[in-house]
Amino acid sequence: MCGAVAPWCEKAAPVTAILPPSQMRLLIIEDDRESADYLVKAFREVGHVADLASDGEEGLAMADGGDYDVLVVDRMLPKRDGLSVIGSLRERGNRTPVLILSALGQVDDRIKGLRAGGDDYLPKPYSFAELQARVEVLSRRNVGPAEETSYRVGDLELDRLSHRVTRGKDELTLQPREFRLLEYLMKHAGQVVTRTMLLENVWDYHFDPQTNVIDVHISRLRSKIDKGFERPLLHTIRGAGYMIRDGLR
Amino acid sequence: MTAFGKLIRTTAFRLTLVYLFLFALFAASLLGYFAWNTRRLINEQITTTVNAETAEINDIYTRVGLRGLVFTVGNRALRPGSNLYLVTTPTGQAIGGNVGSLAPGVMASTGWSEIRYRRLDEQDVAEHRALVLVTELTNGFRLLVGRDLDERRRLFGIVANAAQWSLLVVIVLGIGGGVFVSRRVLQRIDAMTGTTRRIMDGDLSGRLPVGRSGDELDRLAENLNAMLERIEALMTGLKEVSDNIAHDLKTPLTRLRNRAEEALASSGSEAEYRGALERIIEESDGLIRTFNALLMIARAESGQARGNMDDFDAAEVARGIHELYEPLAEDDGMTLRVRTTPVPLHGNRELISQALANLVENAIKYGKPSPVVQPLDPVAAMRAREILIEARREGEHVLLSVTDHGPGIPESDRKHAVERFVRLEASRTLPGSGLGLSLAAAVATLHGGELRLGDSHPGLTATLVIPALISGGDRLAVQTQDMPQKVA
Repeated sequence: MCGAVAPWCEKAAPVTAILPPSQMRLLIIEDDRESADYLVKAFREVGHVADLASDGEEGLAMADGGDYDVLVVDRMLPKRDGLSVIGSLRERGNRTPVLILSALGQVDDRIKGLRAGGDDYLPKPYSFAELQARVEVLSRRNVGPAEETSYRVGDLELDRLSHRVTRGKDELTLQPREFRLLEYLMKHAGQVVTRTMLLENVWDYHFDPQTNVIDVHISRLRSKIDKGFERPLLHTIRGAGYMIRDGLR
Repeated sequence: MTAFGKLIRTTAFRLTLVYLFLFALFAASLLGYFAWNTRRLINEQITTTVNAETAEINDIYTRVGLRGLVFTVGNRALRPGSNLYLVTTPTGQAIGGNVGSLAPGVMASTGWSEIRYRRLDEQDVAEHRALVLVTELTNGFRLLVGRDLDERRRLFGIVANAAQWSLLVVIVLGIGGGVFVSRRVLQRIDAMTGTTRRIMDGDLSGRLPVGRSGDELDRLAENLNAMLERIEALMTGLKEVSDNIAHDLKTPLTRLRNRAEEALASSGSEAEYRGALERIIEESDGLIRTFNALLMIARAESGQARGNMDDFDAAEVARGIHELYEPLAEDDGMTLRVRTTPVPLHGNRELISQALANLVENAIKYGKPSPVVQPLDPVAAMRAREILIEARREGEHVLLSVTDHGPGIPESDRKHAVERFVRLEASRTLPGSGLGLSLAAAVATLHGGELRLGDSHPGLTATLVIPALISGGDRLAVQTQDMPQKVA
């Protein structure tokens, strides 16, 4: 089985291949040379453009000047720490989504980071698959489609107002939590969503369960929306997470 | 520092010195007041006597004349312990009395004065002091009547003597008492210092001597002993923890290394290399999880997570965890139920959720009935596979409990089970880090409560007992919600 840290280990369908790259421009502000180079290389491999700044001052200048889709900011940086970089950007009206990377991974550190203006927070050590999925979700936020009242993937339709879910002509009965799970997946249709992202956004828990709770919920949801239909919509992306998408494979 | 130096530096000794000074001052002022008043009294007496006698002699002189005056004065001068008398002519010649010699000019001015004189009738030639009144009689004769001040001098002598002695006694007693008290205090302090030094040298089992008097030093010693007790427990805990960490982190690290080495040594295919790398990543993910759990426990134990406390309903937490784990339990052939009453709680919602999640995960993992004692009755069999999450209030505490009907934990093992990395014999074959109960316990402690492990005949009841800091429990109508698990 693939570990959580290896996006390339999926031989049949690597994450790279299944994402028609809506290419992103990324700025990585990270002082550790090796992890920075790794990130730049990994992001370029999956088809994004990644620039690198190695300290807080440089990062602030580049973020201010360049037109980036997402900033990936380390918290502890030389010259100027990550949270202060984000604070200055927000003061100047720069709303570029920011993902904070930090070795400080506790709940209160996360809250501090989000309060400082960060949009997402990922504790080190992280898996690249997790980072990639989160960055892609953040980036879409940048494009900013208005919150839609209904989502559609293939013949699956979810109405957020009436809480109705239909597939073709069949109406599906979902538990409230299953509805929210599907809603989140469909909102990010075509994007990889990791287990931790689901736990955070659907359940609002920020801890790491030792068991595969999310998988069980997904398989229940899958049995409701995909069972008995010819084309599966809810896919497992090995080593990364899940994706809802029409016409995969 | 010499013993004496130490002695005079004690607080007790310094206080004694201050008191000594104050007492000496008090004694001196008392004696001074006494002496001054006595002198005034004696002077008053002399004045009265001399005035009366002068008036009397004056009267005799007026009535009987000079002869009568000289006779009377001569007579009175002969009495033992008599006053002083002197009669002089207008030319200044003495014609009667008992005064031998006199400083010149005394008779020249009338009125009161203190003089030095010598008596006529005495052998000794010493000068005495006296208080005298000189009056002018008719015809230019002058009369001196006075009283020797020897008595007053003697009295002063007695007072001065008393002052000296009392001062001496005060000083001797004061210093003696000071030394005695200080030495007693010093001895006890020295004993304490000796013990603390031994403790600082590494013997954590040492305790301060506690006397039976229950005084302030004893109370201090008792408190310090309690503190030492706690420190010793913490140190022992820390040592055990670091031993366990060393063991439990080194084992997976060794596995990790072995795998990498093995892959490197073999000349395998790409697929084999890939497989080896995947296993290595899996292993390191496990390590990261263990580290995170350890950090979380350390955070909770050191109280750093106290920042994110707010008010919420513990029942909601229980229902949330039930909702999250119910499908997992069902997949494992267990039934997860929840029973709650609204219980407002002040705390860290995230940590309490995680603690409860850990208890539920444990119950699912270890709470299966053992196949040997599997009851045949289908109802009992159902009950045996049931896990119950409960949130309720009991007095001043909020109880969040998870009950299973598995093999449970023997009473003797319960304390042990909460420790870090402890995996009881029965569970060693199942996956897990051995940190779940430790984290739950640390979270309970952070909130001023505890994790209780009890028996559910058969099975385990793990309860987070947390003091309810909000008194709003009565605000919400107490209602029991029984949510049987839904069959999807």
